[in-house]
Amino acid sequence: MTTAAGTLVPLGAFIALSAALFFIGMAGVLVRRNAVVILMSVELMLNAANLAFVAFSRRLGLLDERGSVFVIFVFVVAAAEVAVGLAIVLALYRNRPTVDVDEMREMKG
Amino acid sequence: MLDILEPLLFALLALSILGAGLGVVLANRITTSALLMAFTFLNMAGMFVLLGAETIAAFQVLIYVGAITVLILYGIMFTPQAPRSYGLFFQQQTPAGAAIAALVALPVMGIAFAFHDAGPVGPRGGDLPRLATSVFTDFAFPFEIASVLLLAAMIGAIVLVKREP
Amino acid sequence: MEAGPFGIDPLVWAGLRLFIALALAIGLVMNGALLLIYLERKIQAVMQDRIGPYHVGPFGLLQTFADALKLIAKEDLRAEKTDAAFFIAAPALVFTPMLASFVVLPFAPSIVGADLNIGLLYLATLGSMGVLGIVIAGWASNNKYALMGGLRSAAQLISYEVPGILSLVTAVLVVGSLSMVKITESQPGPLVNVLIIPFAFVTYFISALAETNRTPFDLPEAESELVAGYLTEYSGMRWGTMLALTEYGNVTVVCGIMTTLWFGGWNGPGVDAFPILGVLWFTLKTYAFILIFMWVRATLPRLRIDQLMGFCWKVLIPLTLLNLAVTATLLMAFPNDQLPVAIANWILVAALVVGLPMLQQRRLRRIRERLRTRTLGPATAA
Repeated sequence: MTTAAGTLVPLGAFIALSAALFFIGMAGVLVRRNAVVILMSVELMLNAANLAFVAFSRRLGLLDERGSVFVIFVFVVAAAEVAVGLAIVLALYRNRPTVDVDEMREMKG
Repeated sequence: MLDILEPLLFALLALSILGAGLGVVLANRITTSALLMAFTFLNMAGMFVLLGAETIAAFQVLIYVGAITVLILYGIMFTPQAPRSYGLFFQQQTPAGAAIAALVALPVMGIAFAFHDAGPVGPRGGDLPRLATSVFTDFAFPFEIASVLLLAAMIGAIVLVKREP
Repeated sequence: MEAGPFGIDPLVWAGLRLFIALALAIGLVMNGALLLIYLERKIQAVMQDRIGPYHVGPFGLLQTFADALKLIAKEDLRAEKTDAAFFIAAPALVFTPMLASFVVLPFAPSIVGADLNIGLLYLATLGSMGVLGIVIAGWASNNKYALMGGLRSAAQLISYEVPGILSLVTAVLVVGSLSMVKITESQPGPLVNVLIIPFAFVTYFISALAETNRTPFDLPEAESELVAGYLTEYSGMRWGTMLALTEYGNVTVVCGIMTTLWFGGWNGPGVDAFPILGVLWFTLKTYAFILIFMWVRATLPRLRIDQLMGFCWKVLIPLTLLNLAVTATLLMAFPNDQLPVAIANWILVAALVVGLPMLQQRRLRRIRERLRTRTLGPATAA
């Protein structure tokens, strides 16, 4: 059961998977207390975006590799962001030994 | 006979990705979350291979599993928390957050299924020369900015965790 | 997919090939480790003016068999508070990437597991996956020392990946392809790459020593350091897998990479007529490098963790970056000529060989001066 373009797995399936993973990651950011788990969920979101980029880049029929090139830059930004994010979490942990985001409300109100 | 292989692999990888993703958000212990995240990354690399972008798959494993997972594990080891009950893992805004995520997810996935691929699919395994040419000619400026970004992130991370002697 | 011999179904043939490749890889790794453990002990013994194992079998050849049997027969110990799943999974996580690396090593013109056009990138990727298993092993042991040892070892491994991959990139610049088969084919006859890019070879050799946890960088596994690092809680065949099999497998892979990139891989007299001879040449060259690794182990003392990290970040990485910049510039300036690159590289090697001892002499002299003036001071005051 091939699609119109002769591929076996339709593009919509990849994009739907990317969307599902993105919203799982988003739920993780909104729901979990541990700051490191929030960083992990952000990585999931970035992965989902990467999947969408690569799927569109390979499958829209334009033979355009710019989507894949952008994925390389997303890798770079994700790595930089995890490094700095963890540095911030560690610095916070030094002030009081918690990484619980519900307890970090010094600036609230 | 061979036609069933690709959809089967896709289904397997997709289920693993979604299962591991849910595991990251809902796991009992944080190290389980970290390892399930690494598992997600590996399956994602498999997805990239399925799409025919093998160089990107290799980079995915090299950067995400090889470096970012180790970084997150270091972060977990250096911030040990007292064990607490499972209910206290979730923020005060959990019901609202989960509801919003679910409510927005469903229409977006519905729209996502409507995309159709068209035209010629690129050749498998041929993406490295085109990628390299693109990055170093058309996108040379973003490439240089990305290196500056990495340098800034390195310096920033070192400065943030430096202890006063 | 093509149909197999005797007209087997293509899918069945693909599966069968996979199974055969897996069996060959495991056989190669296990037997290689067996042979290498014995070789290591004998060579170290010869260099230390003793005999080594001679009791079990002729010339002690069956010693490793006996050791393996002993390890398998040991009690499967696991401390109570260790995390069962991760503790048991860690050796597999360390072993599997190493096993998967054998698939791209080119043994002979048509004997290569899979001629990936990103073969070298694949090898670098698998090298970086091994770090994860070590961190998990250290954490799952529920032991302060194991955790610290695991984190230290992971830090060493990820630090030395950088100069290693940069050296590989320099070599790839000269060759023009990441495919291991094409790299071997680009060095016909005696004009092997080591004559063109020797400095990249030197830096890769040093990074490979560190990546495979060999002396002088074997802090994580040395018996006198930090109990035993991340291996503290592992005994019996788990220890055997994590330490012996993985390390010797890694050493074989890394020496295979060095042979392919810098010494012509399967090339040698007689390969054009009988392609199967390529296996002989590849194996001989790889084992020559493994013997050099063992020679280095028997000779050099161990570096401390801070010396090790300082050497990587302050010496090796600037040198490899310099080499990369110089090679890339010269290749752009003289597009079809490899002579300028060769000249620049040999100048760098000469500078390293002559300059490093000179710098060390100067530092030693300064330290001695400081020591001399310091001890004289309080003594004369009293």
